[in-house]
Amino acid sequence: MVITTMRFRKKEPVPLYDNEDSITNQNYVVIDTELTGLDETKDSLVSIGAVKMKGRRIELGCTFHRLIKPSSALKSESILIHRITPNEVEKEPSVEKIIREFINFCGNDIIIGHFVSIDMSFINKEVRKITGSVMRNQILDTSMIYQYLKKKYSQRDLFISYPGEIELYELAKRFCIPISDAHDALADAFLTAQLFQRFIPLLIGIGIKRIGDLLSFGSPYNKEIRYRVSGEIVNF
Amino acid sequence: MYNVIEEVIDFLKKVPPFQFLDEETLKAITKDVSMEFYPKGTTIVYQGGPVGEYIRVIKKGGAKVSLGFSEADEVVIDYRGDGDLIGYLALFDSSMSRANVIAVEDTICYLLKVDVIAELIKNNPEVREFFHKSFLNKFLDKAYKEIHRKSLPYSVGGNIFFTTPIEELATKKVVTASPDITIQEAANIMSQKKISAIVLTNLNNTPVGIVTDRDLREKVVAKGRSVKDPIKDIMSPPLIRADAREYGFEALLKMIKHNVHHLLVIKDGKLIGILTNHDLMLFQGTSPVALVKDIENQQSIEGLVPLAKRVDNIIGLLLKEGVRAGDIGRVITEINDRLVRKILEIAEQKFGDAPVPYCWIVFGSEGRKEQTFKTDQDNAIIYEDPVSQSEEENIKEYFAEFTNFVKDALLRCGFPPCPANYMASNPKWCQPLKTWKRNFSNWILVPTNEAILNSIIFLDFRPVYGDFTLAELLRDYVIYLLREQKVFLGHVANMAIKNMPPLGFLRTFVVEKSGEHKDQLDLKTKGIAPIVDIVRLFALEKRIRETSTLERIEALRDKHQIIQEHGDELIHAFEFIMLLRIQNQFEQIKERKQPNNFINPDKLSNLERRTIKEAFQVVSNIQDLIIERYKAMIW
Repeated sequence: MVITTMRFRKKEPVPLYDNEDSITNQNYVVIDTELTGLDETKDSLVSIGAVKMKGRRIELGCTFHRLIKPSSALKSESILIHRITPNEVEKEPSVEKIIREFINFCGNDIIIGHFVSIDMSFINKEVRKITGSVMRNQILDTSMIYQYLKKKYSQRDLFISYPGEIELYELAKRFCIPISDAHDALADAFLTAQLFQRFIPLLIGIGIKRIGDLLSFGSPYNKEIRYRVSGEIVNF
Repeated sequence: MYNVIEEVIDFLKKVPPFQFLDEETLKAITKDVSMEFYPKGTTIVYQGGPVGEYIRVIKKGGAKVSLGFSEADEVVIDYRGDGDLIGYLALFDSSMSRANVIAVEDTICYLLKVDVIAELIKNNPEVREFFHKSFLNKFLDKAYKEIHRKSLPYSVGGNIFFTTPIEELATKKVVTASPDITIQEAANIMSQKKISAIVLTNLNNTPVGIVTDRDLREKVVAKGRSVKDPIKDIMSPPLIRADAREYGFEALLKMIKHNVHHLLVIKDGKLIGILTNHDLMLFQGTSPVALVKDIENQQSIEGLVPLAKRVDNIIGLLLKEGVRAGDIGRVITEINDRLVRKILEIAEQKFGDAPVPYCWIVFGSEGRKEQTFKTDQDNAIIYEDPVSQSEEENIKEYFAEFTNFVKDALLRCGFPPCPANYMASNPKWCQPLKTWKRNFSNWILVPTNEAILNSIIFLDFRPVYGDFTLAELLRDYVIYLLREQKVFLGHVANMAIKNMPPLGFLRTFVVEKSGEHKDQLDLKTKGIAPIVDIVRLFALEKRIRETSTLERIEALRDKHQIIQEHGDELIHAFEFIMLLRIQNQFEQIKERKQPNNFINPDKLSNLERRTIKEAFQVVSNIQDLIIERYKAMIW
């Protein structure tokens, strides 16, 4: 009996998001990663940072931060940026353990990140090794949301164009979010969360109140996910 | 590695009541902390809406607390800024929110669960105090300490003289004897017991006099008096007593007032020790008593000038000792009074005795005993009604020279002349009693604007030198005049509500918008004057004789309903703002600047800002009560 239930749970598909539900009524997990480099074939994760949001509220006490023993050697240039020496990372628990913890931490929450498709491709590379599949959470990209807002609020000084404006730190400055000295994954995840927090009233201001609407332009995997969701349903 | 919570803890460490918590407790309460952002204009809490499950601490931004369900009937009751709390009433009343809270700028808040705070209140007395009781009353002491800590670097000894009961300062070894023993017997006792003073007591053990080494030298040996004479012939009576529980500065006041160097310390009716000027000096370094003695010994204005300069140092000393503003005012008033008396004595020697009994009165802050650093001269003369025209002319001639001499002497001692010429040297303010009576009846019965202004200024008069009966007769008359003077009181009430304290400050205070003191807060007009005016109004309503704000409050305690209810708050508010001002002026003097009444709110700590805000709130509440009472006469 117990076993059946567990099996059933395991097989349970991604929850179908209620597209009508309010964006302020969602559970989000805002993430950032540090990588050895940007080449998906050679490089790998160095650390994952994440902080939870309940609607417009950032749950400061609910954070995730792990360093990962990399599968490819740390490149010296990223050492310079992140100040993580190979020695420091060696002691960390295995990738598999951390990825499992991360999947647990995220639960069914909507994942948010800045240029999040990069983070997700490296995370999913690891997830695939463990589960044979990828994370099925809904995804939102703050850089995409920003681009959308910018189109809608083109008259506002807040959205004046300049080169490099879409970078996380540039946007933080623009929205008067204090930037911490620690440029690690958690600090940047927290920064991204605050950015998204600022976006919420702006989204509501232009009538984007339903999560379905937000996902329709804010998600890099929009099509893919739809496909996958339907696939799951077919499998089920 | 980056730690989000640490940022929160660092912030809370600067915010009351969290600043009183230890690191461990801070960690515990921030375990589930969250953070929200409200763009300008967001309603954070709705009046009548459900109380939230969170108490919010403003990290950055500002919000107004208001009542009313539409913009038309909105009444703003408070502003909150960085470090302020939102929604803590939920701790005590969970039925619904009592007010709207609306962000007036982009605002970031930390959210703490109500039950976490409730738990804190249960376990932490300081937090309990903060939430349960009037912030003002309970947190003043801490705010005081903070102010005093600021002056500590300049402290020499850091002794607690002004907060120590004299029981602990007094010499406990008291030897008593009967006043009927001979001088020789007394001298024997003194040399046997190796003491410098002996207290003589009657059969009931009540002290009747004291004899010191100096008395033996000066009154016996030098005069060739017989040592067989009774000791009571050379004793100095009467002795001034002090209660063992009084503080050092109170003993000090007594010594200055009575110009003595010994006080008998009495506990439960029994003599337990002697407090000498020397005891005080040991604790003191610079002694106000010594200063007063020096003033007494002067024969010329030249001699007084350098002494007058020492008064500021004494204020510094009192600040360091943690003396409350009201008591600093009392000590300084005593010293300044002595200075004025000495000047008048010197003037009398120079010009000869006055042709008529007169009384030197002071008013304004001097009259209210609230003087600290030197302020403008505010004085006048009441003289006895002359019998004839010629006598009056004679008197006027005398006082013309006399008062100008005094004015110059005061100026040389550091008291600038009054720009509005409210001085005895102005013939208008050097008048016989009958003219003063007429002045007051004109002002009170026909309250024109100028009349109200004059009466407000002069009503705080206090005699300093000469024939005090004249001042008391005038006071009797004024009190008589004040019966049933609703219209006059209505005018005074208008004065008392004219200066609204600035409740509307956010991250900073509502400050001066332009001019030399741009971005500064005027403590005198916005804080002190409203309290003085309010208390004066109540004093006039109840026709009491006291002139100092604090004494008026004490005298009104069982007479005036508002004072009965809010007297303590008002005292605390007054003491706190006064102390801030004195502290600020002391700093300015140290920096060799002209002292003024302006402070820079940025220099205040969070706690000081909260306290002064509470103080302003008290004043504003009472002004509302006055408006309510005088509704028909407020314009």
